[in-house]
Amino acid sequence: MSRAADTRARGFLAPYRALDLTDQRGLLAGRMLSQLGVDVIQVEPPGGSAARRVGPFAEDAPPGANSLYWSAYAAGKRGITCNLEMPEGRALFLRLVARADFILDSADVGVMRRHGLDHGNLSLINARIITVSMTPFGETGPKAHYADSELVVWAAAGALYPARDHRGVPCRISVPQAYLHGASDAAAGALLALFARHRTGRGQHVDVSAQASAALTTLSTTLAAAVGHANYQFPREVPGKKSSLDLSGSGSRTRRSKWPVRDGLLELHLGMGSASGGSTNKLFAWMRAEGALPDQFADWDWVKLPARVLANEISAEQLDAARAAVGGFLARFTKDELGRAGLEKGILMAPAMTVEDLVKSEHLKTRSFFETVHEQGRPRTLPGRFAAGRNRGFVPLQPAPALGAHNAEIYGPLGFSAEALGALRSRGIL
Amino acid sequence: MSVRPLAGLKVLDMAWVVAGPVIGRALADFGATVVRVESSRRVETSRLMGPFPHGKSDVQQSVLFENCNAGKLGLTLDLSTSEGKAIARDLAAWADVLIESFMPGQMARFGLAYEELKELNPGLVMLSSALMGQTGPQAMMAGYGNLGAAMAGFQMIVGSPGELPIGPFGPYTDYVGPRFALVALLAALDHRARTGEGAFLDVSQAEAGIEFLAPQIADYCATGRIACCQGNRDPAFAPHGVFQTRGADAWVAIVARDDAEWLRLAQIMGGATLAADARFATLERRKANEDALERRVADWTATRDGEAIEAELQARGIAAHIVAASEDFVRDPQLTARGHFVRLPHPLMGETVFESARYRLSDTPAVYERSAPTFGRDNTYVLREILGYPVARVAALEAAGILV
Repeated sequence: MSRAADTRARGFLAPYRALDLTDQRGLLAGRMLSQLGVDVIQVEPPGGSAARRVGPFAEDAPPGANSLYWSAYAAGKRGITCNLEMPEGRALFLRLVARADFILDSADVGVMRRHGLDHGNLSLINARIITVSMTPFGETGPKAHYADSELVVWAAAGALYPARDHRGVPCRISVPQAYLHGASDAAAGALLALFARHRTGRGQHVDVSAQASAALTTLSTTLAAAVGHANYQFPREVPGKKSSLDLSGSGSRTRRSKWPVRDGLLELHLGMGSASGGSTNKLFAWMRAEGALPDQFADWDWVKLPARVLANEISAEQLDAARAAVGGFLARFTKDELGRAGLEKGILMAPAMTVEDLVKSEHLKTRSFFETVHEQGRPRTLPGRFAAGRNRGFVPLQPAPALGAHNAEIYGPLGFSAEALGALRSRGIL
Repeated sequence: MSVRPLAGLKVLDMAWVVAGPVIGRALADFGATVVRVESSRRVETSRLMGPFPHGKSDVQQSVLFENCNAGKLGLTLDLSTSEGKAIARDLAAWADVLIESFMPGQMARFGLAYEELKELNPGLVMLSSALMGQTGPQAMMAGYGNLGAAMAGFQMIVGSPGELPIGPFGPYTDYVGPRFALVALLAALDHRARTGEGAFLDVSQAEAGIEFLAPQIADYCATGRIACCQGNRDPAFAPHGVFQTRGADAWVAIVARDDAEWLRLAQIMGGATLAADARFATLERRKANEDALERRVADWTATRDGEAIEAELQARGIAAHIVAASEDFVRDPQLTARGHFVRLPHPLMGETVFESARYRLSDTPAVYERSAPTFGRDNTYVLREILGYPVARVAALEAAGILV
């Protein structure tokens, strides 16, 4: 179904078109814009985008068509092939640039310039063009040409350092995240440049560094050394030790906030102090009502507990005993039971959801969050619109394009017949 | 001064902690007038969190708060009073954009529900950021981003296989939510500029987080596989790990992205012998012998300096970087060369520091006009200049204890 035939919402950004040259390091940016109605045309080399070779992989499709990374983040886009290594390919691409608003790329630094596709050159064809480059470390600076991988960018962003496993080793999130932070920032950067264009009539270039983007995930702890806050970032966790009291209530060091329950894990930060002691008091009231609160904790007020700990009225051993009592109590329940109890009693706790739990979540079902599209008949279920509410901003997801699926649809209006396109294909240009 | 993309945009920012305020911060960087409303009595969480200058806790010197609120005007308001609510309502009538992150229902109790405000201000774009969104059976779930991370699937996918997961650092969905929210908000504003239509945007921080697991959602639905903890390993690369280096708590991340890179790495670490070791010749072999492979890398890194390793491997095109602690991060030549750290005068700190905008626009870059507000810093400006209240009314509000 072409967009023109789609009579449903056209999206907040319906007037615009993007040419998307990104690989797995930037694929998400165009996906986000497409969900808001931008006509995003994914431009792939004739052999297919490198992102088509990124896992996880489905078992119901052949290699090249089985990347679920591609399914997820190329969804909503149209797809064409174009060989930018060849002058004829570049000439063809430039004809599309004339009618585009955004060019998205995640090539290594210098590649776009080498192809004559840097902003300066493209703006000669279309002064209104907005070019957005997503690179691991940014386009300038001594590390601009660094060899990159997600883990390495995560390490450079400061995101790896504070997340420690049970042996104290910095540990990444098992699903690569760094480039997604950069790509989602790039989508915002593209729109900021669009607002500037509304005023000036001119496009410009946007430079997004995944390293800088991923740094947001450190809760600003990476700035500690800039203000002389020593030993802030990763205080050694000694239970009950004064210096390790986390009074924020946010449970930012989540290793100690995992509680095994009957069918999985519960997330609950046993907070004290004004920010979250009240929640712990509610948990203890529940334990008391269920006859599960040992007498020694009967008079504990978790809001006021920090003062008692600091005054040595409460020992590390007592805190550990309280944790043990909580652990024993929670272990009686399922995630679902605890999730509902938390909601009813106002206790800050949540089941640690698996992807299976997410797909089966009643809450997400009620909100119609997941959408299922079909890639040549194969169903693909994906997270859908990223804002609900009273708005006509989002369009339904479309399946990620097969390689060159829209060549005729997009090159045709430029005057290419089916035979001409066939010839371009056989010469390796498409 | 260059054109500012969002000059003239009027924003009422009633968000707190991280997920909400980060949105308004970006708007301020690019020229919007952002009025951040808060209470000095019920101090918002990010002010309670560090880092703080020299480690000395002070709710008016939190670097986290600075990082999320630089560039905004600050108004302190007692929203439990009818006068306080009336001021917020006046600001909502003035604003193009209202951002809030209270529990669902709280804005209605303030008399600031979207349905009411759009009568007052039909073009208003209101963005509500909540843990689970505004609707659905779990909408009233309270909590910080660590619970958002649990509800988005992230607490189960950080850690080593077979061990209790450790979860991501901090309130992970607080870092993801604002990126999606900002894009939706800017898109709504572009639409409004063409049509005059306002919008209500209901952003669920958990849902935004799940967008970052979209391939894993698709994978479960297509194959039944459930994403789980892999330590630092990755099915597509080996070695792909974090290794201890010389010094206290010092680490380096190293990845060989293909067989050719492994050969170069092997040459550096163990010469021709290691490069010829059949156990490691292909990705498949390296995955099969990954424990031995990682021990080999770890032995090599243990006695070396992390930055020297990074330089040596990068010179040969191998992906490597030290695991940056704060001390490393603030003196990273890449970040400093790109102006990542912004310093501005601050009345209490002398100088504040925050991170620059994550979008470097070539012609209309971010401009940093002011530090994050101390309590009530801009009360007079907001009430007199923006809302046009007479001097006597401002004085009366002050005297009545509304502006706290």
